Amino acid sequence: MKLRCGKKLLIRLVAIVVVILVGVMMYFIGREHTVLLDNKTVTLASGTEAKALKLVTVQVDRTEALELAARDRDKSVVTNQSHKITVSYTDANWNEVTITKKFKIPVGEDMVIISIPTLVANQDAGQDIWLTKYVAPKVEIKNPQDEKGVITDEFSFSI
Amino acid sequence: MSALKITKGESIKRFVANNLVPLLFLLICIFGIPLSGYSANYLISEVIVRISRNAFLIISLLIPIMAGMGLNFGMTLGAMAGQIGLIYISDWGVVGIPGMVLAAIISTPISILLGWWCGKILNMAKGREMVTSYIIGFFMNGIYQLVVLYGMGSLIPVRSPSLVLPRGYGIRNTVNLAGIRKSLDSLLTIKLFGITFPIATVAIIALLCFFILWFKKTKLGQDMRAVGQDMEVARAAGIQVERTRIVSIIISTVLAGYGMIIYLQNIGTLNTYNSHSQIGMFSVAALLVGGASVAKANIRNVFLGVILFHLMFIISPMAGKNLIGQAQLGEYFRVFVSYGVITVSLVLYEIRKKREQGYEGARLAAEQKESK
Repeated sequence: MKLRCGKKLLIRLVAIVVVILVGVMMYFIGREHTVLLDNKTVTLASGTEAKALKLVTVQVDRTEALELAARDRDKSVVTNQSHKITVSYTDANWNEVTITKKFKIPVGEDMVIISIPTLVANQDAGQDIWLTKYVAPKVEIKNPQDEKGVITDEFSFSI
Repeated sequence: MSALKITKGESIKRFVANNLVPLLFLLICIFGIPLSGYSANYLISEVIVRISRNAFLIISLLIPIMAGMGLNFGMTLGAMAGQIGLIYISDWGVVGIPGMVLAAIISTPISILLGWWCGKILNMAKGREMVTSYIIGFFMNGIYQLVVLYGMGSLIPVRSPSLVLPRGYGIRNTVNLAGIRKSLDSLLTIKLFGITFPIATVAIIALLCFFILWFKKTKLGQDMRAVGQDMEVARAAGIQVERTRIVSIIISTVLAGYGMIIYLQNIGTLNTYNSHSQIGMFSVAALLVGGASVAKANIRNVFLGVILFHLMFIISPMAGKNLIGQAQLGEYFRVFVSYGVITVSLVLYEIRKKREQGYEGARLAAEQKESK
């Protein structure tokens, strides 16, 4: 009886662990991320400048391919942690160049930004160089009560 | 035995009396369909959507009926658990089928806990399970609102600003489920005669139906039927009556949680504070419209109920508008009918029970007379 109880408990524990593992797996498989694709001139850590490409086609996984002109930024919404980025452009010698790189989005990140010029300039470098966490710019909204000297009704004198 | 013979007229009368609610709804639909002016294609596609949306929830009511606990109005507890799962996947940004699975996994322990608690209380209120479970639903709604409105975002971490109220804690009135919207319904579809059939959802509902049929044949299922027929006899036979009843409520609550996730993925929006409140009422009403009673229900009742009840839901606003010039009347009518059908079914159940008892008495008297 003791043995049967133990076996029953073990089966239940294993079932719970399996369910938790499935839950964790689902979290990683179904997690949605926004990948911002940025085609702006950037200054690299070495001090050199990675110039924006005049026209580049970027595709993340099997999502729609995006055409970016210089200074353009667009986004791809993807699920899962591991992805593939394909960058196609025409270089200065009129050669069609296609770069395919695999990257992983860090756990817990909603939005990351990929600098296309950095990726093109450092094709052999790791993702840490061209993929960074996106930090939304903070916009400070002043509390209207703090704003002194604002006349809300400029015609009040004339009434 | 001559006293027990039933004439053809009597058998028709009995059939009508036993199926009064479905026949009434059939009559309403027969009159309402031409008045509404909807095409057959539209009505069929709408009914299919309603079946895929509601059937799972209604099937979750079958097991407590089997265990003699009546209509489980406490299914709203499971619905709340499902909603909590959906709030979390929305916060974490998990989308699609994995999101639904994760929501179901999150809802399961909450449903089990709530179901166990509800079952414990219902065991203390034997014979008054329906009204007790109804009140438990109201009580739990208060706790749910307390947790979601004050706990989430303050004690329970919720990081998404699109979910949290501007004050910094509490979940917004409406949660956008765009990430999982129709993810199951559109997973596998077939289009026939311009009508889209959500095969994946239908397959899951069919799977649950098979589970119910299989479950009835298991030891636990047989125990539940025995408990449903007579608790004292079941106890004398060595069945753990209280435990069996609790298990039936737990299963129902867990299934209701999953049903709510399927329901909301179809709709695509979670009404945080209202979605669950009416679900018990409409599911119970649909089951009763299908010809089920407090003591007896099967899968046939579920589908007949969804078709008739929701057909009435679809046609009544337009029929009301075309008949009287006011769509509002149709809206009013369908809410009135939902409550009314529950009342009528409960009254009919009592009448039928008394009539059966009378008939049984007459049969026994006739048998005794013949043996003399």
